[in-house]
Amino acid sequence: MLPVFRGLLWGLIGFAIGALLTALVRIALGMEPWVFGPLFFVGYLFGLAGWLLGVGVWDTWMREFLGMEPRPYKEEGWRRYFGFNTDHKVIGIQYGVTFIGMFLLAGLLAMAMRIELMRPGRDIFDFATYNRVMSMHGFLMVLVAVTAVPGMFGNYFVPLMIGADDMAFPRMNALSYWIWPPAAILLLLSPFFGGWDSGWTAYPPLAITNEPGQMFYNLAFFTGGLSSVVGSVNFLTTIITMRAPGMTWGRVPIFVWSIFMTSIMSLTATQFVGVAMIMTVLDRVAQTAFFDPARGGYPLIYQHVFWFYSHPAVYVMIMPSWGIMLEILAHFARKPLFAYRWAVAGMAGVTALSFTVWAHHMFTSGMPETLHVPFMATTEAISVPTGLIFLAALGTLWRGKLRFKTPMLFALGMLFNFLIGGLTGVFNSDLPADMHLHDTFWVVSHFHYTILGGGIFGLIAGIYYWFPKMTGRMYNEALGRLHFWLMFIFFNLTFFPMAWLGLHGMNRRIGDYPPDLAGMNMFVSMAAFILGASFLIFVYNLVVSWIRGPVAEANPWGARTLEWATPSPPPEHNFPRVPEVLSGPYDYGVPGAVHAKV
Amino acid sequence: MRRDVVVVAVIWIVLSVLGVLFAASWDIYPPRAGVEAEHIDEAIRILMMLAAPVFMFVVVMMVYSIWRFRAEDEREEGPPIYTNRPFTVSWLVLTTVLAGVLFYNPGYVGWKFLKSNPTADLVIQVTAAQWHWHVTYPQYDLTIKSRPIGFERMDENQVLALPAGRRVKFEVTSDDVIHSFWIPALRLKVDAVPGIVTTMYTTVTETGSYEENSVFRVQCAELCGTGHPRMTMPVVILEPEEFEKWIEEQKEMQEMGGMMEEEEEGH
Repeated sequence: MLPVFRGLLWGLIGFAIGALLTALVRIALGMEPWVFGPLFFVGYLFGLAGWLLGVGVWDTWMREFLGMEPRPYKEEGWRRYFGFNTDHKVIGIQYGVTFIGMFLLAGLLAMAMRIELMRPGRDIFDFATYNRVMSMHGFLMVLVAVTAVPGMFGNYFVPLMIGADDMAFPRMNALSYWIWPPAAILLLLSPFFGGWDSGWTAYPPLAITNEPGQMFYNLAFFTGGLSSVVGSVNFLTTIITMRAPGMTWGRVPIFVWSIFMTSIMSLTATQFVGVAMIMTVLDRVAQTAFFDPARGGYPLIYQHVFWFYSHPAVYVMIMPSWGIMLEILAHFARKPLFAYRWAVAGMAGVTALSFTVWAHHMFTSGMPETLHVPFMATTEAISVPTGLIFLAALGTLWRGKLRFKTPMLFALGMLFNFLIGGLTGVFNSDLPADMHLHDTFWVVSHFHYTILGGGIFGLIAGIYYWFPKMTGRMYNEALGRLHFWLMFIFFNLTFFPMAWLGLHGMNRRIGDYPPDLAGMNMFVSMAAFILGASFLIFVYNLVVSWIRGPVAEANPWGARTLEWATPSPPPEHNFPRVPEVLSGPYDYGVPGAVHAKV
Repeated sequence: MRRDVVVVAVIWIVLSVLGVLFAASWDIYPPRAGVEAEHIDEAIRILMMLAAPVFMFVVVMMVYSIWRFRAEDEREEGPPIYTNRPFTVSWLVLTTVLAGVLFYNPGYVGWKFLKSNPTADLVIQVTAAQWHWHVTYPQYDLTIKSRPIGFERMDENQVLALPAGRRVKFEVTSDDVIHSFWIPALRLKVDAVPGIVTTMYTTVTETGSYEENSVFRVQCAELCGTGHPRMTMPVVILEPEEFEKWIEEQKEMQEMGGMMEEEEEGH
C-alpha cells in the first residue's frame, strides 16, 4: 500500500478515536455529546497524529524509538513521490507540484472573483459565496507565497548550493512536507461545512460566530505553521553546519542567505499565528471567550497576535524571491553580485525590523493612539534595508553583459513590480494617507505588486532558471518569453488601476461596488482574464517540456554556483565527493577563478 | 564609462523633475469634503512627489542597463566589480534621509494635525451591527438606521446628513463583529469594535451628495459577513440651515412613518 493511503486510513482512525473520546468526556460532564465543533477539533488533532504515523513517522522514528529496525521509504520512479522520502530533491519536487497546483486553483478562484466584479450588482455569486471564494483565494495564495519557494527551491537547492549531500535532518524534511496534506484536505472540505467568509485574516468576533467551515481554516493554518517551523529548523541547521569545506559565510550564495533569514522569521514568528488560530477555535468550541467583549474578552488581541506573525510572513513571502532575483541577475549579467555584503545586511535588517512593524495593519483598528507613531517609524525604517536589495540589483546590472533569457526577464520584471509594490506600501505606512487607503483596493494593488509581482514573479523566474536542473530537460524559450510578456503587461494592467479604484472609494473584500466605478472594474477584469490565460502557456510549457523537452546540459546558463556543477538532474547523493570551495560564487570576469573543486 | 554615468544622471534628473511636477499637479483625487481630507490628499500628493525620483532612478538605471549593457556573445563576462563605496554609502545615506523626511512630513506632521483638535460642535454616535448603521444625533434626539439594500437601491436607503462648516465627532462602536466606519469623501475611517468606542473627528467643509459622487457614502470597510457589501448608506452634506431642516423633517417622518418602517424591517 502506498504510504499516502495508509496515512489516510490511520488518519481516519485517529479522527474517530479523538471524536469518540471527546463525546465520552462530554457525556461524563453531562453535556450534549454530539456537537460538531469540539468533536471535530479534537478529532482533527488525533487524525493529524494518525496521518503522520501512517504516512511514515511510524516506520522511521517510532520503530526506532521502540527498538525495532526502521523502514525507510526507498522507491524508484513515480512511486518515490508518494511516500516518506527523505531525499531533499524528491521533497523539493513534491512541494513544487503541490504548491503550483494550489496556485493554479487559487488563480481560478481569482478569475471567478473578477467575473463577479466585472459589473456592479450580483452576477454569478451571491454575496456569501463571493466572501467564501475570496477567503479561499486569499488563504491558498498566502500558503503558496509562504511555502512554494522555500519548499521547492529551498529544499532542492540549499544543500546543492552549499555542497552538502542532503539536509541536516532528512526525516524532518519529509515530515515538513507530509504535514501539508491534512491542511489541504481541510481546505478542500471546508466548503462542505459552510466555508469561511472572513478572509485570510479571519478577525474575531466574526470568525467565532460564522459557519463551522471557519475552523477548517484555523486548523489548516495551524497545521501549515507546524510545517514551517519544522522546515525552518532544518534549513538553519543545514546552512550552519553542513556547508562544504571552504564555503565560508562570505561565500554562501545569496539565495541561501535569503532562505537563512527567512527561516529565522518562520522559526520565531509562526508560533504566534498558531496561538491565534487555536484561541479562535477554543472560543468556538470551549467558550474560552478570549475575544468576546461581552465576557471580558478583547477582539484586538487577536489582531496583535495574528499580525505579529503575519507581517514577518510577508517578508517570508518576498525574501526568498529576492534571493532568486539577485542570483539570476548576477548569473545573467555575468558579473559579481554587487555589494554582496550590503545585500546580506539588507536581508538581516529586514528580518530584524520585520518583528517591529505589525501594528501598521491596525492604524484604524481603534488601538491606542500612542502606538501609531512608533509603528509608522519602524515601518518606514524598513524601507532602508529593503533599498539595499535594489542597490545590489542595480549595481549588478550596471556594466554587466546581460543575456535576456526567460529567467532574466522574470527577474527584471520582478525588480520593476516590486519597486511599485514598495512605493505604494509607503503610502500605507503613512498614517494620514492610511486613514483613507486602509482596507481599500489600494491595498489590494499594493500587496499583489509585492506578493504576486514580487514573490510569485521570483518563483516563476526560479522555475525557468532551475527547470533544466530539476527535470533534466529544457523548457521552450519562445513560449517562456511569450509567457513573460503577457504576464508582465497584463499583471500591471490588472493591478495598477486597482490603486485608483481604492483611492476612489472601492473597499476590498467586497462583492459589489458603486456603479460609478464600473468602467475601471470592467477594464481590470479584462486584463485579469488575459493575465490568467498567460498561465495556460506556462503550464503547457512545463508539462510538455518535462515529458519531451530537449535534454538539458549540466550547466546550460554557464552559472557558477555549485548546483550547476552536478549533472541535470543531480544524482541521489549530489556530489561524487565533498566539494572544496575555493572562492565566492560570483567571480565573473576574474581570470582563472574557480568557485569549487567537485 | 563616465559617459554612461553622465547620461543616466541627466535622464534621471529630467524625468524626476517631470515626475515631481506631474505628481504635484495631478488631480487624481475624488471630491473631498473635510479639512482632514484636504490634509490626507496632501499627504498622498507629497508621497507621490517623493516617490517620483525613487521610481525614476530605479527605472532609468534598469532600462539604461538593459539597453546599453547587452552581451554580444554567450560566454562574455562583465568586469569584476564587487562594490563601489561612494555609491553604496551615498545610497544608504540618501535612503535613510528620505525615510526620515517622509516620516516627519507627511507622516508625523499629518498625524499631529489629525489628533490636534479633539473638540466638536456636533456629536454623532454610530453603532454598527450586521449589516446596519444606527446613526444617532444625541443633540437632536434623532436616530436613523440604514437598511442593507446595497448600491442598487441606494436611493431608497436612509441618509446620513452632515452640516457643512461644522466640526463633527463620530463615536463608533459595534453590537456584534468588527466593522469599519468609512466615509470616502472625508478620507477617514475607524473600526467599529464591540466593547470599545472609537472616535473620529473632522471639520466638514463642502456640500455634496451620493448622487454627485459615490464617495459621499458610509461604507463598511472591514469584512463583516454576508451582508458586508450592502452595509452602506448615502451621505449628504448640507448647508447648516438645511441641515437643521433635514433634522426636523426626519423627526416628523419618524413620527408619522414609525409604524411603516417597523413593518419594513420585518422583511
